[in-house]
Amino acid sequence: MKNFQYFKPKSLKEASEILSKHKGKAHILNGGTDLIIRMRDRIIEPEVVVDIKEIDELNSIHLNKHGELIIGACVNLNDIAHNKIVDENYDFLSKAAHMVGSSQVRNRATMVGNICNASPLADTATPLLALDAKVLVYGAEGKKEISIHDFFIWVRKTCLKIGEIVIGIKIPSYSNDILGDFQKISRRKMVDLSTVCGTVLKNGDDIRIALGAVSPTPIRLRKTEGFIKGKELTEEVIKKALEVAVSEISPIDDIRASKEYRINMTKVIIKRGLKKIRQKNLALAEG
Amino acid sequence: MKYKINFNLNNEEIEHYIDPNRTLLNMIREDFDLTGAKEGCGAGECGACTVLLDGKPVNACLVLAIEVEGKDILTVEGLSPGNKLDELQISFIENAALQCGYCTPGMVMTAKALLKENNNPTEEEVKEALSGNLCRCTGYKKIIKAVMDIVEKGKH
Amino acid sequence: MEFVGKSVNRVDGIKKVTGSLKYVDDIKMHGMLYAAVKRSIYPHAKIINIDITKAKKLKGVVDIVIGKDFPKRVGLYLEDKTFLAVDKVRYRGEGVAAVVAKTEELAHKAVDLIEVEYEELPAVTSGVEGLKEDAPLVHPDLDKYKWAPIFFPKEGTNISNHYKLRKGNIDKGFENADIVIENDFYIPHVQHVPIENHSAIAKMDAEGFLTVWASCQSPFAVRQALSVAFDIPLNKLRVISPAVGGGFGGKAGTTLEGIVIPLAMRTNGKPVKLTYSREDEFVNSFVRQGLHARIKTGAKKDGKIVAVKNEFIWDGGAYTEYGVNIAKAAGYASTGPYDIENVHSDSICVYTNHPVGGPFRGFGMCEIHFAIEQNMDIVADKLNIDKVKIRKINGLKPGGVTATGEQLDVCGLQECLDEVVKDIEYYKKEESNEPNKVRAKGIAFGFKAPSMPNNVASSAIIKINEDGTLHLLTSAQDIGQGSDTVLTQIASEILSIPPEKITIKTGDTDHTPYEWQTVASRITYCAGNAIKLACEDAKNQLLELAQIKLGIYKRDLELKDGNIVSKIYPDKKVSISELSLGLSMPDGSGIHGPIIGRGSFIPPNIRDADKLTGLGDKPVAFWTFGCQGVEIEVDIETGKIKVLNVASCFDVGKVINPKLIEGQVEGAIVQGLGTALFEELILKDGKVLNPNFVDYKIPTFDDMPKMIIKFVENAEETGPFGARGIGEPSMVPAAPAIANAVYNALGIRINSLPITSEKILKALKK
Repeated sequence: MKNFQYFKPKSLKEASEILSKHKGKAHILNGGTDLIIRMRDRIIEPEVVVDIKEIDELNSIHLNKHGELIIGACVNLNDIAHNKIVDENYDFLSKAAHMVGSSQVRNRATMVGNICNASPLADTATPLLALDAKVLVYGAEGKKEISIHDFFIWVRKTCLKIGEIVIGIKIPSYSNDILGDFQKISRRKMVDLSTVCGTVLKNGDDIRIALGAVSPTPIRLRKTEGFIKGKELTEEVIKKALEVAVSEISPIDDIRASKEYRINMTKVIIKRGLKKIRQKNLALAEG
Repeated sequence: MKYKINFNLNNEEIEHYIDPNRTLLNMIREDFDLTGAKEGCGAGECGACTVLLDGKPVNACLVLAIEVEGKDILTVEGLSPGNKLDELQISFIENAALQCGYCTPGMVMTAKALLKENNNPTEEEVKEALSGNLCRCTGYKKIIKAVMDIVEKGKH
Repeated sequence: MEFVGKSVNRVDGIKKVTGSLKYVDDIKMHGMLYAAVKRSIYPHAKIINIDITKAKKLKGVVDIVIGKDFPKRVGLYLEDKTFLAVDKVRYRGEGVAAVVAKTEELAHKAVDLIEVEYEELPAVTSGVEGLKEDAPLVHPDLDKYKWAPIFFPKEGTNISNHYKLRKGNIDKGFENADIVIENDFYIPHVQHVPIENHSAIAKMDAEGFLTVWASCQSPFAVRQALSVAFDIPLNKLRVISPAVGGGFGGKAGTTLEGIVIPLAMRTNGKPVKLTYSREDEFVNSFVRQGLHARIKTGAKKDGKIVAVKNEFIWDGGAYTEYGVNIAKAAGYASTGPYDIENVHSDSICVYTNHPVGGPFRGFGMCEIHFAIEQNMDIVADKLNIDKVKIRKINGLKPGGVTATGEQLDVCGLQECLDEVVKDIEYYKKEESNEPNKVRAKGIAFGFKAPSMPNNVASSAIIKINEDGTLHLLTSAQDIGQGSDTVLTQIASEILSIPPEKITIKTGDTDHTPYEWQTVASRITYCAGNAIKLACEDAKNQLLELAQIKLGIYKRDLELKDGNIVSKIYPDKKVSISELSLGLSMPDGSGIHGPIIGRGSFIPPNIRDADKLTGLGDKPVAFWTFGCQGVEIEVDIETGKIKVLNVASCFDVGKVINPKLIEGQVEGAIVQGLGTALFEELILKDGKVLNPNFVDYKIPTFDDMPKMIIKFVENAEETGPFGARGIGEPSMVPAAPAIANAVYNALGIRINSLPITSEKILKALKK
């Protein structure tokens, strides 16, 4: 690993200034579980590393006064997975956080890190896409919010500009109870990357579907959602929805799986997700 | 350029100077000769380098040494001060929960952290907590037994 | 018995649970220098030029060696390798130059500065391809190499060994058969994946004495190879294996030791260390050879198999100094544990431009059984005969005859089958609770013999200390299997001294006596016998002295609790401690001196097979037979297989330590499960695409099935207390048992490993 200068700013302003000053030669260090490997393998060789973990406001999970859930950039995945508010409201998000890496990795890695890597198969991206989350960003012009839908640009590329720091994730306040399901298909059940992962959720009458590892970025399946909208989830509707879903993904062949297998798993995830929602609905109706 | 860091290592306050590009694993092994934590992959996939950072298991290969400023580190060497074995270590021996021994220190540390956090885990919880520690020799069964024996003992 | 057969705690337990045991990479020495290796980027290429000038100028670089500096070929069975490539590279990753520098980082930097000019050659990327007439030759000079006369390389081809077995009359056999079927199978390369990567340190002192600390299974085999390669006399070369963090065959023979030695010869006495990265471990240490297997079977309607013709084509990789013997082992075991009259087998080891094939737990048996045991189920189905019954009919029994014509006096295979059928509840149908999941069971046999030269030697020394405690010296290596403990128990039993009073010392060619290698599941048997003999020798010396001291004839004396005691008058005794340095006579003089027991052992009466037919009445020391049953659950929508239950039973002759042997089998089952479901080195144009844990998955906790482990104890006449080996055999049936369960669940045959979800789904959709 090439040597570098190390900074541990106490404030966002300070952090942003260091990043701007060392334009493109500086890298943010958060959980480090990805960065350190990439530096060791000499894929990246930053001259400056800015550790943001000492910035107080990035370390909490809380509901703001509007009832929106804020997850700080430096909250690690285990703390998210075990957080009561998260689990009570969005158990599928807890599950997604819990399915990343090992316990050791989750004690360091963060959800913000997971999405900032912009891997097509980021486990926590699909629940956030399904929840219409906002990415909270601090930059030279102060704070701003970016829709998660605009955040991912391509494989390992986000819309962030030099000097910008993601300070957290905001999940909008929902008046309904959200029924959701996160699924992950991987070669080995524990501690593996997703072959395909996905979140299917229901908010009122609205059904949302987001998938990972089937396109250059994690995606929402808008056409499929549109097709389902207003329909009762019969076997026939589900079957047709799966065909629509296949038409809006573009999975690849790689050493982890073939395109064909990813298409099949897309169908399995959506089918199971929809059926689970149907079941939960019934249970609620019978209540 | 070396940076000064202060931290607690196996219950001893340390002041140390370190280059920022060194990992925690590299520092404890090279500078403190604490070689219980091993490098099995250098990528956080095998768990052989597991140590406890503020009580939580982490892969020491994925932590920069400079990040431990102000923190507590417990390595396997700190688990049995004065050669007095921890009950978990005794349980590993009695259950033959080790073979070549290379994954054992990391395994013991992860299990120790789990038991500190949850003194009554189910077998499933033990499997889950330890699934980031690879062992190629034992087939895992006796490791689970070693941990569950401590859980059972705790109930009496 | 007092100590044998007891679940004694591991004698190396404390140093392992405390992390205080120093493995090679944990060792630090004053002035330590670090090595790094420049590696080939082509699978097959001529080396035109190696330019080290820029690298040498880098500050902190001490020296650089290239292959040409040490061109002497070495090898365990066939001398085909050099530690760094000379003239041409034969696999992607092969070392062409090695640097020694002040830090690891500098060494790697220097490696980047070495410029190598290659002329690419067409590559051989499978064993089958390598057999083609127009295939490029990986070793054009094969005819000039030296090899042991039991191997059959063919000059002008890529064949480094062609083992033939011809028994009975194969054509007649097929003529008499009611059905004849033929099946093909493929087993890809896999890797051992010890959690400890290879590591070695070498140091030369002013007198020219060289010491090597290596994470190796076989210090004496390493010493021999290094001595030949670098012309160092054995008395000036010391190999120490302080601890081994998992071997599974990968640390047998030699790998990186030969890279650090030439560097250490140029550092003015400073030690040189080289530790492999995980990627190196996957690509540049031994891998398990790939195999194409074809089996043609002729059977009678009643289930009796009358003819087997099979062809095993091994993808041996760039060097097959060790791999040639895997082809041989597969050849003489080619029918599996079945009694078949007419056999025609060809087992061919082929050079390819792939990573170097070498020994891996099972030594060919896991691979061929994946074919043999699935084939057996296919035959049973074809004949509409129960799969247990066909194994009852054809499986070896006492008095039965193996493929090479060896008649067996002892064989517990059928007992193992009965036990497994019972434990896995083979005939009880289980239903899954989930509609998309199917459950089924499968069984498979497995057998294995130690595959080693006939005359491999073991030795042991036992020293009795003044206080009656012991030092046991052997070069059997505890690579995790528990030999330190089991060998100590054997000594305890014979000398009636508890394990805590015995210290076992291993793995130092200067100070511990000769042991061929810790491989082949042979240590309990071979080293165990040597230790038994050494202890009996010491015991005899003690009895001789005691009979003088006590005036009781030695046949009436026995060892008990640290004393030599009269069997008739228990109060008449003398302590071992009192006799440890000899016997003091009443007149004040002394006789005999310190008690030192020595034991030397070579397995008795193993003879070469006939060169033309491969037939032989005693080709191996012993066979270990057994059976495994599994229950699996398959998700038919995702293709995911979960192994729920496993029952294993092996005839081990004698269980020396119940909890350790159980651990061996549990580990073998889970390792076998890994090779069955996940593991494969994905090779493309000679490049390993998944040399890391991200994309090469081994099982973890959640993959572990419930396991029922049993043993049958039909004593091996020549084994210590009747024991035979188990480490490898227990893994042999794992993959085929799962494959057979998959068929029983879904009616699909997966003929290649690993049995991935993807393959299942694809087959289901057909």
